[in-house]
Amino acid sequence: MTQTNVGRLRVMGAAIRGAHLVEGVLPSSFDEVWDVMGDLEGGFGDFQPDMRSVRVLRVDGDRVEALARSRYGMRAHFHGVLRPGWGWLQSRFLVVGMAADALDDGRTRVALTGGVRVPGRPALVPIGARGELEQAMRRLGERVR
Amino acid sequence: MPPADHAGRGAGRDGVEQGVERGRTRGVDGGCERGADRGFERGVALARAARRGDTLALHDLLDHLTPYISRICRPIALDDGPDATQEALVAVFTSLRSLRDPEALYGWVRGISVREAVRVAKRAARARPAESADVPERGDPQLAADIDDVLSRLSPQHRAVLVLRDVEGMDEESAAAVLGVPAGTAKSRLHRARQSFRKAWNG
Repeated sequence: MTQTNVGRLRVMGAAIRGAHLVEGVLPSSFDEVWDVMGDLEGGFGDFQPDMRSVRVLRVDGDRVEALARSRYGMRAHFHGVLRPGWGWLQSRFLVVGMAADALDDGRTRVALTGGVRVPGRPALVPIGARGELEQAMRRLGERVR
Repeated sequence: MPPADHAGRGAGRDGVEQGVERGRTRGVDGGCERGADRGFERGVALARAARRGDTLALHDLLDHLTPYISRICRPIALDDGPDATQEALVAVFTSLRSLRDPEALYGWVRGISVREAVRVAKRAARARPAESADVPERGDPQLAADIDDVLSRLSPQHRAVLVLRDVEGMDEESAAAVLGVPAGTAKSRLHRARQSFRKAWNG
């Protein structure tokens, strides 16, 4: 089975109504990219929209629990999964999904999704999400450069 | 794991089933009945939670169903199994909200997976018609020992009916329903597929 992380994120995006998926190819190696994306208390907060700080509360295998604080003081208590090249975090109101795959030429394909949850069904509020994700992708590109 | 081995119950023991059985036990959880039942219950529970908006359950359902879908798609789409698996996953998860009864999850997933695998395999066959010349010779014992090589000599439709009947253990009517053909067509396809498989298998 050779399903890619980005392919998996496309499946998640297909399942969640209103979810946007932003993809890009970064000129850096997978390790360089994932060192930023997968570092919840460091690089993750630097490129994800509206994350002032993130504190990891618990790690159990690939399961993580983390507390994020926004610039406006709001907090999000995330539960989720973090694996090399893969992250899926969910709080009561937010979802963050990210994926990265090494390409044969040494570059890295990256995909991001997420946004504000719609209660009671697998859906995200579509308004503004694409712009935020594109901004996150730009920031990530600058951060790993 | 999903109830991989609800499959195969009641399947006959001729060369076809034995061959497919060999292919099945190579890369899939052998799964005792209790384990299969637990897998079934877990999948249904995850589907229910996912439909209520729990995206972490959706994530776990993706982990849970991927090997099951891959196991159906791979013997039908062969080299294009990963593409077929990806397309089947997208189709399944896109329409998960339309699944009325989560208890019917596996049958529903199986139907979509077979259809997607046949579609991908047909598309690949159209795109690479010359590759049929690369099909291994019948007399090659090393290749003939590999179930994938034997399956590659069959059409996608024949592979699909074999997977449904002899790997998944479905009856003729259910297999016909999944394939969207009359029961008689499924029966004759199965007959021809088994005959071709047996010939190739016995080399």
